[in-house]
Amino acid sequence: MKNRNPAPGAVGAAPPDNKVAAVAHDVALEAVGFTYTDGERPALGRINFTVAAGEMVGVMGASGAGKSTLAKCLNRIVPEFEGGAFTGVVRIGGRSLDGARVCEVAPRVGMVFQDFEAQLFSTNVAHEVAFAMEQIGMARGEMVRRIGPALEAVGLAGFEHRDPTSLSGGEKQRLAIASVLALSPSVIVLDEPTTDLDPEGKAEIFALIRSLREQGFSLIVIEHEAEVLRGADRLVLLREGEIIAEGAPRDLMTRLELLEECGVHPPDLNRVLAKSGIAAHGASVDEAEALIRRALPHLGATRASSASTDEPFRDAAPANGANPLVEVRALSFNYPDGPSVLDSIDLRIAPGEFVAIIGQNGSGKTTLAKHLVGLLHPTAGAVMLNGRDRTAMRPAETAAEVGYVFQNPDHQIFAATVEDEVAFGPRNFNLAPDEIQRRCDEVLRAVGLQDARALDPFLLSKGERQRLAVASVLALRPRLLILDEPTTGLDYREQRRMMALVTELNREGIAIVMITHTPWLVAEYARRVVLIRRGRKLYDGGVREFFTRDELLASSSFRAPEATELSRRFGTVALGPDELAQWLRAQR
Amino acid sequence: MPIFLYIERATFIHRLHPTVKVFALLVMFWSVYWVDHPLALLPLGLVMLALAEFTGAWPNFYRLRWLFILVILTTTLAWMVFYRQGPALINLPLIHLSRASLVFGLGRGLKLAELLATSVLFLSTTKVEEFTAGLARLGVPYRVGFAITLSFRLVPLFIDSALTVVQAQNLRGYDFNRGGPLERVKRYVPVLIPVFMGALRKANSMAMALEARGFGMSRQPTSFIDYPVEPSDLAATVALFALGALYFMIYYTGYGAISPK
Repeated sequence: MKNRNPAPGAVGAAPPDNKVAAVAHDVALEAVGFTYTDGERPALGRINFTVAAGEMVGVMGASGAGKSTLAKCLNRIVPEFEGGAFTGVVRIGGRSLDGARVCEVAPRVGMVFQDFEAQLFSTNVAHEVAFAMEQIGMARGEMVRRIGPALEAVGLAGFEHRDPTSLSGGEKQRLAIASVLALSPSVIVLDEPTTDLDPEGKAEIFALIRSLREQGFSLIVIEHEAEVLRGADRLVLLREGEIIAEGAPRDLMTRLELLEECGVHPPDLNRVLAKSGIAAHGASVDEAEALIRRALPHLGATRASSASTDEPFRDAAPANGANPLVEVRALSFNYPDGPSVLDSIDLRIAPGEFVAIIGQNGSGKTTLAKHLVGLLHPTAGAVMLNGRDRTAMRPAETAAEVGYVFQNPDHQIFAATVEDEVAFGPRNFNLAPDEIQRRCDEVLRAVGLQDARALDPFLLSKGERQRLAVASVLALRPRLLILDEPTTGLDYREQRRMMALVTELNREGIAIVMITHTPWLVAEYARRVVLIRRGRKLYDGGVREFFTRDELLASSSFRAPEATELSRRFGTVALGPDELAQWLRAQR
Repeated sequence: MPIFLYIERATFIHRLHPTVKVFALLVMFWSVYWVDHPLALLPLGLVMLALAEFTGAWPNFYRLRWLFILVILTTTLAWMVFYRQGPALINLPLIHLSRASLVFGLGRGLKLAELLATSVLFLSTTKVEEFTAGLARLGVPYRVGFAITLSFRLVPLFIDSALTVVQAQNLRGYDFNRGGPLERVKRYVPVLIPVFMGALRKANSMAMALEARGFGMSRQPTSFIDYPVEPSDLAATVALFALGALYFMIYYTGYGAISPK
């Protein structure tokens, strides 16, 4: 029997006064519909949705499917904060929220948002946890009593006096969860809480979610990666504001086509099993291995330790050719009066390469990339572009060699139309109007936005804005394209579309440097990995080789995708479900 | 780079009651306001330097050293153009370098630098939460006080965002420095639009997160930090009153002016 609503220690020792005893559901949405003021269709279309006390429900769907709207209905942000037409009833602990203000719901429903920076308001960790308690008028003694256990529950005990801005992304998000826990809500809603985190931060948050589940909180976790929701009691799949499927992870996660149609990343293990003719759910790598061994008993018992990297699959060594496009020589960098950010980095990138730069948040990845494009200047060492010292090159010359697409496309979009946005760069270089038009046509076609040329860029979806940002950089025809986290904030369908575009550009000869935290992107798309840790290059080599270096992976808090991990159980190294399924079929 | 200026120390100044700190900020502004002569401003400047040393605020002054130098130099030079009093020591086409214009310009430069130094000292020794509490004690509504203190947190974020936008547009070959003054202002449109849109999105996200944390439930929220009034607060208040009165007297008697009454 689960312990009902006990946040740990003192937090749990003070159940909220507004609890209604013996309710069947902690959360109930009855025919809830919502259309945003300027929305063309309902964001939610009269859905019925329940969460039992102590249940963990995963909500999945593409961008715009209604996931966040559903979450915001639970604490009255919809319709109190967001304008629009609301219908239906939301009940928390059996009580209707009709007429309640957002702040009044806070003690009952804790909400953790994707943007952890926007959730922190204080100058030290203890005060951050106290903030919500202050707002509801809690006595000081009670606040003091709750802070310690709340921080302990999220693994931040001892951080009380730290400045929240000095924490890592994962720690900031855990702090946001602690400040929610301190109010001792019965329901916690987490809206894509790991989108902006590195693998270590993601692992921290999902370990915490598991712990909260064990403690009996009712949890609603919104995600578009099915894999991370395996531990949920139930999954709900949304499409265009409607619930189109729900059920246990074991049932829903084997409906791969449906998941993909809905913009959800299906679990790679299940993709491997399905492609190998095994209709079953692999809840873990161990379980998937057992299923495969049962289906293919003749497979050897080779384990990871003897995994071979000599497979005839895609891989590439570092560029050692005579004419690299980029050559970084003993590059060191530190901000004035600051510690070292990069320390003696050597790197060569040849034309047409596809390199993934990985490392934890703050490791120096972006700093290195900014040197390639001239946004930063080395403290020591040099960056050569096509054999010339980059510091001696004019911006136009640099732009013709290297393009940089920032993580957030909204950092560059400003024009009134999509076409104007693309034309902005070429105009700055005083190209002839005919040439500008030719380039606009070319790159808009390449990114699939040729029909959107007259639209206002701010009306595009996040995925389309990201592709527009790529197009506006491509219009300068760089030979090397640097993409900083090109898939952050995109759903699976948009991620695949973006990566198909990047792959196509690479096929046409543009070298790609992709900064990313996402293991499956590295495995399935890159041909070379550069691992940076604390400003030093720890690894530079093939992708397949990289994913066999267990110590390196562990020490850099990176992990191989599950399909790769599974493949190593059979003595091979596959860089994705398709490769592994192909290998398994060959073993039959 | 830290986005707050606050530096944790256990000094007497850090421990002062937030209301006294806000009062000290106002008294320093008051005192600087009334006098113009560099010699009258100098003691206040020395007090601030001593306080910077005492409170461990030097790193913030060091971070902003170029701003201080720029403020003093540009203001001094600017007044040599506009304050054309006294016999010229050197004849230059635009600049009127006289003893009077030098003293006046230096006074104005010091004045601005001391206003800046007061703010840096205040923010180095006062947490934003204390600022909110101090304003509340002075009768400022909690929501207004919170909005003011939140702006201290937002400004560095917006500056950071603006720098990224400038970098993004630079990489697309945009030259912000082309043309005359008006043209240059216009050329910041490709920065202002993304920053403004980003600020709106950030403000919207923060407002939602605030309400979701119960902000607005109580008109006068409780405070996690207890701020007892100590004898040192009373002593500091008396000293501040005396300082304010002294500088008003300096103004009133004309000793703080460039040309005595």
